[in-house]
Amino acid sequence: MRGFGRFLIATLSGLVLAVGVHIAAILASPYLAEQDAFAKIQPTLTADKAQIIGAPGGENTWLPRPDPAVAVAACAFDLRNGPMRVAAKTGALPLSFSFHKKTGGVFFAVTDRAAIRGELEIVAMTARQLDEARAAEDENDPSRDVRIVAPEQQGFVIVRVAAPTPSLRRQAEETAKAVSCTAEQDA
Amino acid sequence: MRAPSTPSTPVTHRRVPTAILVVYALLLALGLGLASAYWALDGEPPFGTLRLGSWQAWPKLGSPEADPYMRALLARRSDVPLATGEGLGFTATTDSEGRPLDSACSYSIGPVAPAARLWTLSLYDAEGRLPATELRRQGFTSAEVLRDARDQFTIALSRHLQPGNWLQLPASGTFSVVLRLYDPPGAAGANLEEGDFPAIRRLGCGA
Repeated sequence: MRGFGRFLIATLSGLVLAVGVHIAAILASPYLAEQDAFAKIQPTLTADKAQIIGAPGGENTWLPRPDPAVAVAACAFDLRNGPMRVAAKTGALPLSFSFHKKTGGVFFAVTDRAAIRGELEIVAMTARQLDEARAAEDENDPSRDVRIVAPEQQGFVIVRVAAPTPSLRRQAEETAKAVSCTAEQDA
Repeated sequence: MRAPSTPSTPVTHRRVPTAILVVYALLLALGLGLASAYWALDGEPPFGTLRLGSWQAWPKLGSPEADPYMRALLARRSDVPLATGEGLGFTATTDSEGRPLDSACSYSIGPVAPAARLWTLSLYDAEGRLPATELRRQGFTSAEVLRDARDQFTIALSRHLQPGNWLQLPASGTFSVVLRLYDPPGAAGANLEEGDFPAIRRLGCGA
């Protein structure tokens, strides 16, 4: 009977520890994942233009469940090299940007409805870079940049351009490819 | 030969089992903990589901408030969700009466869809890939779907040729339908009602 009691205590402590292991595994997995979206987009870090990761039609892409009507392009950023400026010329096709942290999770998104005179331009920076930019700014001529503070130094931007009809798919892909992502040198 | 004496029994009982019990407890913790984590990450996010008829969505998936299960799932799937503000994707794996979607059956989807700048409706096979069919069409967008005089539409899902908006189903197995709303008015997931969504009706099965 006594042996059984000890066995019961061991099982209970095992169950309690299992809950801890479960929570730790779930919380750690975005940091430990080696095949997540950032790992696949990272090679685009040096490119000046967004790179297509899912062409419309949904072929040859690692994206799960690709939308065949949407061109998806991406550029990775590393804010240790300075703030990153993402700029697109908008047209008739619906276009949107979403900003993702390295460990997954969206921190900002915007559609072309926010475009000014056919241009959508966003600058992603760290909180420190924002302070520096504000300090360096001329009070009489404030910058008109839309500035977004990124919670992590590394991440990626996803550009989606939708093609309402199949004949517009090529145009959607060209629009997505033409989006520029450039690291700004600290002024 | 030593006669078993009463004081020696608890010692032999306790010494060996304590180490074994600790190892047992740790193995149990590791095994159950990892297995349950793996199991939780194998399907869809367990919390925060928005269910409207046969359509399911996770509005928090594309927002900074995504819960740890959602983050872990995204990392595991190498997925990039539609962000809140960009749009929202709804998945259906059952028809309106809750039966799993089977490519041996025929279905009709319609007649209305929620307001959005653009919506797309796409088919995926059991593995989540776009099905390779002879028709070579895997979905419709709101711009190309044919509508009747009352601005309503019907999409026929069948393996065999259908008039009107026809999507050919994969050769066999279950499938899923994803309705993506791009740039919907208002906050994503708010003020949507079941009546705004197209119903998936099963017309018949076999042959």
